[in-house]
Amino acid sequence: MASDRPVREAENRLEHFNADRERLLAEVERRVVARRVTEAKQGGSAALEDVLNDVAFSEIKRLEASRQKNGALDRWKDLSRRLMQMSEAEKEQELRDLVRYYGRDVVGNFDARVYKFATGIGPSLLNTLFSPTTAFRQGFGVLGNLDQRIHPDGEVALAHTCAERGTVIITPTHSSNMDSPAIGFALMRAGLPPTTYGAGKNLFTNPFISFFMRNLGAYRVDRRLRFELYKDVLKEYSTVLLEHGYHSLFFPGGTRCRSNIVEKHLKLGLLGTSVTAYKNLVREGAPNKRLYIVPATINYRLVLEAETLIDDYLAETGKSRYIITDDEFSRVGRIVEFFRKILAHEGSVVVRFGRPFDPFGNDITDDGESIDRAGRHVDPASFIRGANGEVSDDDQRDAEYTRALGRRLAAVYPKLTVFHSTHLVARAVYDEVCKRAGTRDIYRLMRLTLPPIQKADALAGIDRLRARLVETPAYGAEHPQFLDQATTDKLADGVRALSTFHTRIAVEDRGETLQVSDMKLLYYYQNRTAHIPPAGPAEAA
Amino acid sequence: MSRAETVGIVGAGRFGTALGSVLARANRRVILWSRDPEIVDAIQTQRRCPRLPDAPLPEPLVATADPRVLASEARFLVMAVSSTNVRERSRELGNYLDGSHIVVHAIGALATPNNERVSEVVALGLPTLKIGALAGPALPADLVAGEYASMVIASAFDEVVAEGRRLLNAPPVLRLYSSKDLAGVELASALAGAYTVALGLCDGLGMGVGPRAVLITRAVAEMARLSVAAGAEARTAAGLAGLGNMLVRATERSVDYQLGRRLADGVITADGQRTEGARAAIAGAELAKKLRVRMPVLTGVAAVLAGRAEPREAAALIGDTVAVEE
Repeated sequence: MASDRPVREAENRLEHFNADRERLLAEVERRVVARRVTEAKQGGSAALEDVLNDVAFSEIKRLEASRQKNGALDRWKDLSRRLMQMSEAEKEQELRDLVRYYGRDVVGNFDARVYKFATGIGPSLLNTLFSPTTAFRQGFGVLGNLDQRIHPDGEVALAHTCAERGTVIITPTHSSNMDSPAIGFALMRAGLPPTTYGAGKNLFTNPFISFFMRNLGAYRVDRRLRFELYKDVLKEYSTVLLEHGYHSLFFPGGTRCRSNIVEKHLKLGLLGTSVTAYKNLVREGAPNKRLYIVPATINYRLVLEAETLIDDYLAETGKSRYIITDDEFSRVGRIVEFFRKILAHEGSVVVRFGRPFDPFGNDITDDGESIDRAGRHVDPASFIRGANGEVSDDDQRDAEYTRALGRRLAAVYPKLTVFHSTHLVARAVYDEVCKRAGTRDIYRLMRLTLPPIQKADALAGIDRLRARLVETPAYGAEHPQFLDQATTDKLADGVRALSTFHTRIAVEDRGETLQVSDMKLLYYYQNRTAHIPPAGPAEAA
Repeated sequence: MSRAETVGIVGAGRFGTALGSVLARANRRVILWSRDPEIVDAIQTQRRCPRLPDAPLPEPLVATADPRVLASEARFLVMAVSSTNVRERSRELGNYLDGSHIVVHAIGALATPNNERVSEVVALGLPTLKIGALAGPALPADLVAGEYASMVIASAFDEVVAEGRRLLNAPPVLRLYSSKDLAGVELASALAGAYTVALGLCDGLGMGVGPRAVLITRAVAEMARLSVAAGAEARTAAGLAGLGNMLVRATERSVDYQLGRRLADGVITADGQRTEGARAAIAGAELAKKLRVRMPVLTGVAAVLAGRAEPREAAALIGDTVAVEE
C-alpha cells in the first residue's frame, strides 16, 4: 500500500496546454476530416451526406425536445435542406466546420493562476469559508492541510514513476460529482501532476464548481449529443491529448455509480483512446513513450448525492436517469454543507491508487516496463504489430484489448476499496436486518416494518467484518487511519454520520438499540461492501 | 513463404501431425514443433511422424525442436498438446512469443488440476491476448485420408478467427467455420469427449437406438445448460464443437468411445481417467456442481469413472429422474 519512497512533485504538463491548444485542435480537425473523407470514398453509410444528415437530424431532434428558441434549430434545419444540393467539396467544408465547432465546444483550458489558487490558498480559503468555527479553533495552518481530509495512499510512488516516464491515465471509481475536485486534490497532495479530464457539460452549469473546472484542464462532454461525429471528435481529442503527453483522467464506469456497489461492469468510454494513442506513438517511431492506466478508488465517508442516487437506482427498471441534473450537486447550499460537515471530518475521503497497467492490461514493473501474466518482460508495441512487424489497424482488436483492460480494472477495484465506519456499520446493521427478515432482497426489506437491532449484535457484526477484511485483502481494507479504533467507537461514529448529514436518517441511535429509519440509504452505504459475500448462516439469511 | 503465411503447430501428436499433413498437402508452409528430437529427425529425414506414420508430410512442412525458430517463423500457432501438458507448454513457449502472436488450441478438454478452460490456462502462460480455440469433427485418420472435415474456430478477436480461416482452410479436406463464443466452443468440445464415453457405455450395454438417441439429445441439452451458466451461448452445444464432435467420436476409432465400451464390459472400472474424455467428464461434473447445473448424464459417467457407480446405474440416469421442459 502506501510507499515510504519520497515523492517529489512531477512536472505539470498542463502548464503548456494553452500554448498547445490551437495545435491540438488543428490536429483533431485534420484527423477526423481525413478519416471521414477517406471512409466516404468507400461509399455506403459512410458517405459525407449521411454523416452530415446524422448530425443535423440529431441536433434538430434534441433542440425540438428541449424547446429552445434561440435560433440554433434554424441552423440545423438549413443544413438539412441544403444537403441534397451540396457538392462533395461543400460537404467536406461543412464537415470541417462542424468538426471545428464541436472541437471548440469540447476543448479545455488550464490557467496556472487558478491552479495555484486552488492548490495553494484555495483549500485554506474554502475551509475558512465553510468551517469558520473550526478555523478559529484549530488555526488557519491546520485547515490549510487537506491531507487530513482527503487522504491519498496506495501505489503513489509507482504512479509518480509512470508520470515521469510516460503519460498516465487515472481511472477511478465514480460515486459523486465531487470526485473530480477530490481526486484533483488527492493528486496534488500525492505530488502527482494535475490531469485533464472530460466532465459532463451539465456540471458546468454549477457556478461554484465550473469556474475551477473550466480552468483546471476539464474539457466538456455533452452527453446529449449521441451522433457519431461528435463521439469521433471527442475520442480524437482525447487521443491527441494522450499522444502529446497530457495526463488524463477517465471514469471507466461512465456516470456516477447509482448503487454505490464497487463498479464491476465498466462502460470504458474514452479508455480505448489509450490503445489508439499508443498505436499512433509507435507508428511515429516513439514506442517508448509509454501510457499507463492507474486504477484508483475514491472512498467517501459520506456521499453528497447518496439520497438521489439510491432513489434513482431503486426506481422502477427503465426509469432511472442517465443524466441527473436536479440532485444535491445542483444546490450550492448542499455543497457548502458537504464541505462543512463531510470534509471537516478527518480522513473523510481516501483516494487509493493501485498498480498501473499498460493499455493492454499488462502489469508493469517498478520501472514502468510491461510484464505478462507469467511475469516476463513484454514489448507493449508487439500487441499492435502484424506478422511482419508493421503497426496494424484493427478497431475490433483494439476494442477487445480495452475490454480486457476493463476486466482487469474491475477486478482490482474491490482490493483498492477503503471502508469507512459508515460502510461497516451499514453492512453490519443490514446483515442483522436480513437475518431477521429472512431475505436480502431490498425491495422486500423496504416494505417491512423493521424491529430495532441490538447494538451488541451490530458490534459483533462489525467485528466479524473487520476480521474478514484482515483475512482477505482482496475484499479491500479498513480506513488506514482508523485501524486501531475500538469497535464501539466505530459504531458510534458510523451511526452519527449516517444520522446527521443526509436529509433522511439511515439509522438512529436509541440507547441499547439501533433503529433503521431509511432502508434505502442504509442499503446504499452497505452496498460498498456488496462484493463481500455473506459469511455464513448468520448473515446469509 | 513469409511469416504471415506460415502455420506453426505446437506438438507432433496425432492431431497436430494430421493437421500439418493436410495443410502441407495444400501447399501451406507449416513448422511443427516437438520437444522430442527423434520425432523432429524422423519428420525431417523420413517425412513421416512416428505417432501417425500414415500421414504424408511433404516439403512445405518442417519440424523443429527449437521454440525460438517456431516463434520467429510463424505468427499463427496451433497448440495441439494434451490437456495435462498445456500449462507447462504454454509457459515454455511464452518465453519466445510476444503480443503479436495468435495462438489457437485444439484441445478438447478442461485443464487440470483446476478444471479451467484451456484458453484460460494458455492465457496465463503466454504474453499474447489473441487466443482462440479450434474444435470439431475432424479425426486425425480422416484428415490423413483426405476425408471431408469441418472445424469451428472461436475467439473474441475477429483477427484470430479471420487468420485461422485464411490459414487453416484447406478445401476440399478441411473447412473452417467461425464463432465468437470461445467459452462455448471450449466447453462443448471438452464435454463432447465426456459424452462419447457415455455413448460407448450405452452401446456396450446394448441399450439400442432409442436410448442412444435420448442420450445424444440429453447430452446436447446438458452441454447447453452448463454453457449458459458459464456465460457462453446455448446454441454452440448443438454445433460442430458439441454435437458434431460427439457424433464423430462415437465409433471404435475414438479412445473415449473405446473406454466407454470397456467400462460397460467391466474390463476396467475406476481407473478410466486416462483419456481426455474421461478427464472432461470428471472435470465437467465438478464444474456443474460449482455452477449448480443439473447434469445427470455427465455426473453418472463421472461416477462410473470414479468407481462410485455401476455402469447400469449410470445408464438409468439417461432417462433423467425429473422430466423438465426441453
